[in-house]
Amino acid sequence: MGDVLKLVAKRLGLGLVTLLVVSILIFFAVELLPGDIAQAVLGQSATEETVQAMREQLGLDRAAPIRYLDWLAGAVQGDFGVSLVSGERVSEAIGGRFANTLFLAAYAAVIAVPIAIILGIAVALFRNSIFDRVANVLTLTSISSPEFFLGYVLILFFAVRSSMFPAIASISDGMSFGDLLYRSFLPALTLVLVVVAHMMRMTRAAIINLLASPYIEMARLKGAPPWKVIVHHALPNAWAPIINVVALNLAYLITGVVLVEVVFVYPGVGQLLVDAVSKRDFPIVQACCLVFAATFILLNLAADVGAILTNPRLRHPK
Amino acid sequence: MNMFVLGYYAFLIGLSCLAAYYNKRSAFLLLFSLTLASFVLGIVGGESALHAIAASAAILALAAGTSYAFREFLVMITPHETARELRTAPLTASFGMFVIFTYAIAGVFAPIIAPFGEGEVIAGAFAPADDTMLLGADQLGRDMFSRIIYGARNSVGLALIATMLAFIMGAAAGMLAATRGGWLDQFLGRFADVIMSVPSLIFSLLMLSIFGTNLAVIVIVVAVIYAPRVFRLTRAVAGNVVVMDYIEAAKLRGEGTWYLIRKEILPNSTAPLIAEFGLEFCFVFLLIAGLSFLGLGIQPPTADWGSMVRENATLISFGELTPLIPAAAIALLTVSVNFVVDWMLYRSSGLKG
Repeated sequence: MGDVLKLVAKRLGLGLVTLLVVSILIFFAVELLPGDIAQAVLGQSATEETVQAMREQLGLDRAAPIRYLDWLAGAVQGDFGVSLVSGERVSEAIGGRFANTLFLAAYAAVIAVPIAIILGIAVALFRNSIFDRVANVLTLTSISSPEFFLGYVLILFFAVRSSMFPAIASISDGMSFGDLLYRSFLPALTLVLVVVAHMMRMTRAAIINLLASPYIEMARLKGAPPWKVIVHHALPNAWAPIINVVALNLAYLITGVVLVEVVFVYPGVGQLLVDAVSKRDFPIVQACCLVFAATFILLNLAADVGAILTNPRLRHPK
Repeated sequence: MNMFVLGYYAFLIGLSCLAAYYNKRSAFLLLFSLTLASFVLGIVGGESALHAIAASAAILALAAGTSYAFREFLVMITPHETARELRTAPLTASFGMFVIFTYAIAGVFAPIIAPFGEGEVIAGAFAPADDTMLLGADQLGRDMFSRIIYGARNSVGLALIATMLAFIMGAAAGMLAATRGGWLDQFLGRFADVIMSVPSLIFSLLMLSIFGTNLAVIVIVVAVIYAPRVFRLTRAVAGNVVVMDYIEAAKLRGEGTWYLIRKEILPNSTAPLIAEFGLEFCFVFLLIAGLSFLGLGIQPPTADWGSMVRENATLISFGELTPLIPAAAIALLTVSVNFVVDWMLYRSSGLKG
C-alpha cells in the first residue's frame, strides 16, 4: 500500500507544479499587454495623471515577479484583488457564482454518468448491429454540434413551442432545491447530451478493446452468454479506462459550461468570465482562468489517480 | 383515423413484412422498431408526431440516396486505385464528402451564389421571408440567406487557416523533437503539457482579452492552443519511424535533419496525420464558432455563423427556426468531417471491433 501512496503523492506533486506553471502563465500573459494595465483600461484619451494614479493604486511601480508573488499569496487565501470596473472584491464576485457553476456541472454529471455507462455497455454488446450504427451516428452528431446549437434547439422545443421548462435559468439563493432543479434543467440537459455522447463512445471503445483479449475468448468458448461475458468478464477490467473517461469528461464539462451559461443566462463563473473579457477587467479574468484551470487540472489528476488505484499494473512502471 | 395515418401504418407494416420475407434481418428490425415507436409516439403526440417521423424518415432516405449517388459518381470519375478505396466507403463517409464538397462550392463561389452582399441592408429588421429573401432578414435587415453563404467562406476559411498554422507548427516541432531528441524533445514536451493543462476555451478567452479581437490574433491564439495536440501525435508517430533501419542508413549517408524530416519521416507518417488534420479542424472550427458566439471572435459586419446565432437569438423566443440555421450549418460540417475521419481511421487501423 505504501507504494500506491508514494505514487499518488508523486502525481499530486506533479499536479501542483503544473498549477504553479499555469498560474505564472496566466499572470505574465497580462504583462504582455502593449503598455501596461492602467493604459489599456483607461484608453488613449486618459491624461498622464490618471494613468499614474491608477498605476499607483494597482502597485504597478513594483517589479513584475514581486507582484506575481503577491498575487499568488493572495490567490491561495482566496483573495484575488479588486475588480477594475466595479471596484467590487473579485472573491465576492466569484464566490456564489462558482457554487452555481459547480451545481450545474454536478447536476449534469449525476444524470450523464449512469446513462452513458449503461448505454456504452449496451452498444458494445450489440456492436456492429444496426443499433450500434445508429448510436454511432447520433453520438457523432451530438459531439459535433456546438453547445449553443443544442441549447437553442432545446429552448425552441421545450421552452417556446411547448412551455414545459423556463428558457432562462434565473436562479437565486432563496429557492427550494426542487425549484432549482426545475429551473436549471435545460442547461443541464444540454451538457448531458454532449457529455453522454463522449462518454458512451469512449466506454464502448474501452470494452471493445478488451474483447480482443484471450481470456474473453476463453469465456466465450466455454459457452457464457454475451451479456455475461461483458458484465462479468470484461467490465471489471474496463473500470480503469471508464473511470478515466468519466473524469476527463467532467473536465470537459468545465469548458462546455461557459457557452451553456451564456445561452441560458445562468449566473455562473462562465458568464462572469465572458463579461470580464469584453470589459477587459483583468483581475476577474485572471481569477476565473485560474479557477477553471485548477478544476481542470484537479479532475485530470483524479483521472490519473483513479487509473492507478484500479489498475495494479500501473503501480509498477517499467 | 384518416387516410394519412392508415396509409402510414400500412406502408410501414408492408415494408417490414417484405423485409422479413426476403430475410433482410437488419432492415426488418429497423422498420419494425420504427413501427412500434410510431405506435407509442402516435398515441402520445397524435397525428403531428407521425408527420414529423415521416418527414424525418424521408429526409434520411434522401440523404442516403444522395450519398449513394455521390459515391458512385466519385468512383466513376476517379482513377482505378482511388476508386477501389472509395467503393469501401460507408454511406456516412460519402455523405460527409458530399457535404464538404457543397460547402467548398458555397465558400468559393459565394459572391456568385448569394443574391445580396454580406453587409447590404435591404429590408426592415427581422423582415419575414418572401420571394427575394429566402430566409428573411436579420436584426439589421440584411439577407439571411446571403449571409449564410458568405459565412461558409468566412467561418470555414478562418478555421482552415488556423488549423493549417497549428498543423505546421505542431508537426514541425514534433518531427524536430523526434529526430533531434535530447533536451529539445524534453523542453517541447513539457511546454505542450502546460498549454494542454488549461482548457482551450478559457485559454483563448484570456489571450483575446489581452490582445483584443482581430482576425490575426484569433488565428495565432487558436493555432498555439491546438498545436500541442498535433505535436504529441507527430512526436509519437515520428518516434516509431525514427528507429527504423532506413533512417539509420540515411543518417550514415550524412543527410541533415531537414532532409530526414522531409524525405524519410513525413512520407511514412501521412496517414495518421491526415486523419488528425480532420479532427483538429473540427476542434478549431467549434472553438472559433464558440468565440464568435460569445462576441469575441470574427467581428461584424463580416458574416459569420457563430455571431449570426447570437445576433438573431431573440427570434427563437418567437418560435422561429431561422437563427438555428447557421448553428445547424456548423454542426453539419463538423459531423461530416467526423464521418470522413471515422472512415479513414477505421481503414488505416484495420480495426474490426
